[in-house]
Amino acid sequence: MLGQTKLKKIAEKVLKLSKADQTEVLLSVSEDALTRFANNHIHQNMAWNNLGISVRVIYGKKIGVASTNAFDKESLKDVVERASTLAKLQSPDPNFQSLPTPLSTPEVDKEVFKATEEEMASSVHTVIKQAQAEGLIASGAYANDVSEFAVANSLGVWAYHAGSSCNLSTIVLGKNSSGFAADVARKSSEVDAQTVGQVAVQKTLESKDPESIEPGEYEVILEPQAVSEMMAFLQWYGPNARIYHENASPLSGQMGKQVFGNNITLIDDPFHEKVFPMPFDFEGQPKRKITFVEKGILKNIAYDSYYAKKYGAKNTGHALPAPNTMGPIPLHFYIAPGDKTRDEMIRSVKRGLLVTRLWYVRVLNPKALNVTGMTRDGTFLIENGKIVKPVMNLRFNQSIPKALNNVVAIENKLTQLASFEGEMISLAPTLHIRKWEFSSGTLF
Amino acid sequence: MLKDAKNILAQIPSSVTYADVRIVNQNSEDIATKDGVVEALQSNHSLGYNVRILKDGVWGFAASHDMSESGIDATIKKAMSIAAASAPYKIDDVQLDDQKPIKDTYKTPIKEDPFTVPMEEKMELLLKADNAQRVSEKIAVSQAMYHANKEHKYFVSTLGSEIDQEIIWTGAGIEATAVEGSDLQNRSYPNSFRGQNQTRGYELVRGLDLVGHAPQIAEEAVKLLSADTCPTGEFDIILDGNQLALQIHESCGHAVELDRVLGYEASYAGTSFLTPEKLYEFQYGSSIVNLTADATIPGGLGTFAYDDEGTPAQRTYLVKEGMFQDYITSRDTVKKLQNRNPKYQNRTSNGTVRASSWNRLPMIRMTNINLEPGGEEGTGKGWSLDELIADTKYGIFMSTNRSWSIDDKRYNFQFGTEIAWEIKEGKLGRMLKNPTYQGITPEFWNSCDAICGRDEWTVWGTPNCGKGQPSQVMYTGHGASPSRFKKVKVGVVKW
Repeated sequence: MLGQTKLKKIAEKVLKLSKADQTEVLLSVSEDALTRFANNHIHQNMAWNNLGISVRVIYGKKIGVASTNAFDKESLKDVVERASTLAKLQSPDPNFQSLPTPLSTPEVDKEVFKATEEEMASSVHTVIKQAQAEGLIASGAYANDVSEFAVANSLGVWAYHAGSSCNLSTIVLGKNSSGFAADVARKSSEVDAQTVGQVAVQKTLESKDPESIEPGEYEVILEPQAVSEMMAFLQWYGPNARIYHENASPLSGQMGKQVFGNNITLIDDPFHEKVFPMPFDFEGQPKRKITFVEKGILKNIAYDSYYAKKYGAKNTGHALPAPNTMGPIPLHFYIAPGDKTRDEMIRSVKRGLLVTRLWYVRVLNPKALNVTGMTRDGTFLIENGKIVKPVMNLRFNQSIPKALNNVVAIENKLTQLASFEGEMISLAPTLHIRKWEFSSGTLF
Repeated sequence: MLKDAKNILAQIPSSVTYADVRIVNQNSEDIATKDGVVEALQSNHSLGYNVRILKDGVWGFAASHDMSESGIDATIKKAMSIAAASAPYKIDDVQLDDQKPIKDTYKTPIKEDPFTVPMEEKMELLLKADNAQRVSEKIAVSQAMYHANKEHKYFVSTLGSEIDQEIIWTGAGIEATAVEGSDLQNRSYPNSFRGQNQTRGYELVRGLDLVGHAPQIAEEAVKLLSADTCPTGEFDIILDGNQLALQIHESCGHAVELDRVLGYEASYAGTSFLTPEKLYEFQYGSSIVNLTADATIPGGLGTFAYDDEGTPAQRTYLVKEGMFQDYITSRDTVKKLQNRNPKYQNRTSNGTVRASSWNRLPMIRMTNINLEPGGEEGTGKGWSLDELIADTKYGIFMSTNRSWSIDDKRYNFQFGTEIAWEIKEGKLGRMLKNPTYQGITPEFWNSCDAICGRDEWTVWGTPNCGKGQPSQVMYTGHGASPSRFKKVKVGVVKW
């Protein structure tokens, strides 16, 4: 890690090298490691470090971006020159007005923790031992990411953050079943490998010898991992200013209107106690807690400086790195918890399915936000309030907005879910949904 | 830089069983336009190296941007300590196939270096193609995109191999989005998700005629808004080559990756139904289905001279006349397969190992995975698309992928395409929107009864293939021509 002082000096050097009207520089430093296991042994084990610098220069309304992974004088000069050359060749973007000006960003903990390869291998072995004890096969990955990130611009923006994460996930395989579990923490000593192994082994044993079941419309209990996999698509295609104003979002034109059931509140909170905090966006603008949907009514959408100025809205601090062709996206998006426990929800189902995970979810139509995908790593039939048997995996075709208009109950707590890599955590409760459309089965 | 790679290799302790070093120097440029404005104009550069060592029967891998003496020393030590941390938990020793050292250089043969074409010219072309999509007020978004990638790789190994390879690939495409009420329809040319991509130079972009095709695809997007929805039922379908390419990618390409088959991808995208006992015994497709992995096809996005283990590029039959024949393999997985299926003895890697960057582990990746065209040995008649349509009493012709999904053993798939046309009594009829089809992989490939010939065969590029942890995005190719499949479940989504 280079530290704030050194990174600030590098940013200042870059800003000085640029002759453009406005200049922005993004700096990153990373030291990552990943221990991957399968067939009850470590098969891929690696570490890598890198630097990143991305420079956005603006001449009038003409914008160019260049990047490199070296901080020496020649490389800095080269990256500024490449960005400047591109900008000068550009045609003006009439909607661009200015880079953002400085605003104070919240102070958060910047301490980082590095896991050793021995600690990572040992945690992996803890999972493997539990699978072996039951005659099962463990696979998975333990990732340790340590990074620094800084944003500076010629209007005075300077923002710096450092963070780290340890993320252990496993899929345990039986003869005809599988189970998933994961844990994520700031420090390796806080990763609970024992529980990860236990939960995944338990799921694998419970989902043994699944029976086929007719596809069709079912009531479902989606566990947090499945909810998170579904909500990722609403996060991208829902309250995104670019897509919203293109009239291509299911929320387009619905501001102030009831878009989901009145038990649905959607929040983006980069400072939630269960996530790793993110104090600013990729333009160095402060982040804050925002309620996008309150009791089913659309209240806000996500903006960065470009779309805020284009549409006369307030910047909400959701910029991604330039050039961003996807639009501003909330990265700490979750459904507010309800008042039921998972067991209470299961007890209230007459006939339905308990779904552990969704897999290979893809959008069929972004405007309707219909998605398709498979169930994975443990699907169970519930009858008269009890889990009666594991069933084979099913394909679904489901509109996410329709699902969020059919939520019967929401779990009273949020579970932390790590992305497979990186320092992002999503939060999700278990959901009880009245109708979910399964269109076909598979052979396992 | 080959000299630098050799210098790093020389510093690796002699106690290792095997080691290789890769230095990769990557340059890329991107232009993306939206609604008549250049939205992204970007130039990227990345340089770094990795050290891969085999010690005490386990792999160690470390990578760094830091090419100073101290940086190299730290990277080597890290790779050694990583191997030492894994060794106590090993269950067997990694074994490599036998290979001869190779000293060679290779450069993608191109006619026109995309990086030397003036940026103004490239932007002007895209802006024209973007503006030419504005045929109706219903066009909500018009887009055009271009990408070029130059990857210079220097590989040395303790076997004595020294390989200097420069891979260049280029891609471009356009996409129109029409919106009316709650309906949204897209049309892309020549393919969706980043257009067409090949290991060719700017000649690829010049040959696409993006501007000429823009009004047509925009008009189709608008027409789709008022088109009938694709009917539901079991029908014969003809898949256009650009859709069949992704069908091959998901249901064959990933299914034959030997690391996946052996369980080494179980924790992420899953395993494969093509388990080792099925090798040489399993009827994967009908007797005209021949699938190959071919890294030697000129222009294929998965074309190179040597893989990232230094194994020469090859052409391998994966499925021959319907029968499952081979996997795509690496130096360490072939040995494991030999232990599981004795019929695989004496085989060596078929050269499919690649890494997406200097900081990623090389792993088995698709090269160009192809459905061999009709009219050749064992592939049946070489139909033309017109003949195939004329031969179809009732069916649906589907083109250009819109959505894709497959289960974690590669059995149950569902694809959606941007557009379809009904075929009635051998004639192309009404345009259909929201076409989808679903199936189980071997049942689907066994229903293939006609494949168009080489005249209509194109190697489509798939530049966004994801695999592994940490994730790696790889560029792969798929040769395909329009083909017919019997009694497929169509229109599976309630819209």
